Amino acid sequence: MKRSRHLFALLAALAMFVAACGGDGADGDTSTSAATGATGGEGDITIGFSWNNFNEERWSKFDEPAFVAAIEAGGAEYIKADAASSAEQQLTDVENLISQGADVIVILAQDTQAILPAVESASSQGIPVIAYDRLIEDDRALYLTFDNVGVGRIMAEVLFEQVSSGNFAIIKGNGSDANSDFLRAGMEEVIGDAVAAGDITIVCEEYTDDWLAEVAQETMEQCLTQNGNDIQAALVENDGMAGGVVAALDAQGLAGQIPVTGQDGDAAALNRVALGTQLVSVWKDARILGQIAGEAALALAGGAALEDIPDVIEFESPGGNTMTSILLDPTPITTENLNLVVDGGVISQEDLCQGVAAGSVEICG
Amino acid sequence: MDAIAWSGMVCTFGNREQMAVTEDKTTTSEGALAPQHAQASPYPGGVRGLISRAVTSLEIDTRMFGMIIGLVVIWVGFHIWTGGTFLTPRNLWFLTVQTAIVAIMATGMVLIIVTRNIDLSVGSMLGFIGMFMALMQAEWLPSIFGFDQWYTWIIVLIAGLILGAIIGLIQGAVVAYAGVPSFIVTLGGLLVWRGLSWVMAHGRTIAPMDVTFQLLGGGARGTVGGPISWSIAIVASLAIVLLLISRRRNRLKFGFRVRPFWADLALMVLGPALVIVAVWFLNQYYMPEAVAQQFAQENGLEVPPGGLEIPFGLANPVLIALGTAIVMTFIATRRRFGRYVYSIGGNPEAAQLSGIRTKRLIMLTFMVMGILVGLAAAVQIARLNSATAGLGTLQELSVIAAAVIGGTSLTGGVGTVFGAVLGALFMQSLQSGMVLVGIETAMQDVVIGVVLVAAVVADVAYRRRQAA
Repeated sequence: MKRSRHLFALLAALAMFVAACGGDGADGDTSTSAATGATGGEGDITIGFSWNNFNEERWSKFDEPAFVAAIEAGGAEYIKADAASSAEQQLTDVENLISQGADVIVILAQDTQAILPAVESASSQGIPVIAYDRLIEDDRALYLTFDNVGVGRIMAEVLFEQVSSGNFAIIKGNGSDANSDFLRAGMEEVIGDAVAAGDITIVCEEYTDDWLAEVAQETMEQCLTQNGNDIQAALVENDGMAGGVVAALDAQGLAGQIPVTGQDGDAAALNRVALGTQLVSVWKDARILGQIAGEAALALAGGAALEDIPDVIEFESPGGNTMTSILLDPTPITTENLNLVVDGGVISQEDLCQGVAAGSVEICG
Repeated sequence: MDAIAWSGMVCTFGNREQMAVTEDKTTTSEGALAPQHAQASPYPGGVRGLISRAVTSLEIDTRMFGMIIGLVVIWVGFHIWTGGTFLTPRNLWFLTVQTAIVAIMATGMVLIIVTRNIDLSVGSMLGFIGMFMALMQAEWLPSIFGFDQWYTWIIVLIAGLILGAIIGLIQGAVVAYAGVPSFIVTLGGLLVWRGLSWVMAHGRTIAPMDVTFQLLGGGARGTVGGPISWSIAIVASLAIVLLLISRRRNRLKFGFRVRPFWADLALMVLGPALVIVAVWFLNQYYMPEAVAQQFAQENGLEVPPGGLEIPFGLANPVLIALGTAIVMTFIATRRRFGRYVYSIGGNPEAAQLSGIRTKRLIMLTFMVMGILVGLAAAVQIARLNSATAGLGTLQELSVIAAAVIGGTSLTGGVGTVFGAVLGALFMQSLQSGMVLVGIETAMQDVVIGVVLVAAVVADVAYRRRQAA
């Protein structure tokens, strides 16, 4: 019995992992990697990138091409290693990149702690390290990621422009996922004053087990029932759950009348934005992350100190380190800028515009 | 229980007519146990004695009776706690829709558990089949035939049911013929189907669903409307009366004990009355203004100044769940397959020795489960209007809990489809009520966990008392 309990815990953890990563994959079209391997430019600078894996198509489809384009524009050479999800392998990879003559090492870490010896070894040889998208608990690394608190803030800002008073429903993600609270904290920055002033009443606020869309749907149904449909806005923490909330609203004929937020740039959510049933999907454009990383790597290779990189701020990590960081603002996708996701290859125009009435959204004709 | 299983089993070698009677006999023997309670009561002439005698005469399963009482208690409790929101047509209407998906699967889980097996994979299977059906209608079929063809939904639904049957057969075959415990096989399945649904869509959310397909999930359009709901209520009422009459006739014909005439008459009034009141109540849930106006526009209706009051009627998922429960009850109690399943659960060795092909039957129970998961998956993705990577996560626990709260014993041989449906309604009532009053998710889990265990404790105590 004991063993089975452990198994269940493991399975639950797995399920959460899967759910949490649900939004990351942007589009299913498998594109061949644009990786150029060791055949880079002819400059003196070599930049090494240690990837933890390529299982998620995002890396090869968006991050890597943007990164390579940025450093090649600066005349640097690109070398890479793929650790195939092994923390041990990644240590060896970094050593190899150093011995291949990398001037800067960019690391997408498999594990924030296990990678520390590699950072130690690079730093001791005077090679700058960039922690790409995932934190490395060492203050000698430059930490690049999207601002998760910012995602919540941007959602609330876009919504607040439409609706600045009335009854709000807040559908949060999994209660044991720190991100749920980061997002909520970002929302508070925007609506906090209005709530305190009594302009906004939060009539429902619930966590959602495993970010499950079907659970969010039930929560929203109950919320609408309890308030007799008297709800003016729904702040929802991701696109999957937004789908459930919109389905609940649709059953009351309210889809498109009550603004709903989301994040991830899911194809289904972008389609809802085009249809007008979802107000915004906050999108983390991986290409911007790749490009900024490339530019920072060039600067560091040119001898700049961490503090001299543009737009850096200090970030207190959970492990107590004061990291020099660049926290990128994600892009809110609304009907105004749907062209961004089509141009960025996140979604085809056909998928985006499925079911959209002619003339209602510019990009759909 | 073994004796009952035996009699059912032996009888199934005869013709169907006799089978039906044996079924009656099993109920009679359960009913016959109840008078002992009445006598054991310290106040034989008091109110308690009266109630227990009435219950005995009506031959209502006392367990089931207890659960219905429990349901009424939490409904009234939540009604007061929510300040009068719980027992409104709207909330109960949603409650029925929210229960449907788990209820559909619970009817199959009963048969699995009755044979002393378990299926832990139903949640993942729901995710996998749901993702398959979603991709089929959102990507594969449209690329050939175009979007929103009238026949898309039927192709997708049938494909989903077939896929469910195949998955069930595979798992069932490994359990029955390879002799691997079902706990392990379906634990593997839990990982495999979840993983494959991830691989199939790379974690994408697939949406929207086909316009006709969406009707399977209820929503603003997926209901049958007021008049048809009334027709269903009338047909169901007639069916209850006719069933009671034919049952009484059959019993008299074979010389079995029948209920007192007043008891049968009371049931003939109470049963239909309950159905009619339920439908009447649910029909009070009118279309929200926005939906009603759209409906009026499409049907060329005039909108009176006071607004329109168009009842939604019963939702499609609820009708699907009720239909499933009726069919599964029929299979479980009136078909050889069902009777064999109970005899296997009661005593596997005896069942095998008497010539029942137990392995084949166990495999088939898993296939039935698979088909039901396919059906539930269709309702789920239609209702959500999308398929997500996490779809159905932890649903297996709700389904098993519904069956167990509904009186299905994990030691095998005992459990009813009707009980499982009630169990699902019970669980969902708790959950919906707690969301309504704003209890945080973590505490909801605590309450549901405690209730699950308490229900089984009560059940075990009840059975022990009955056996004594």
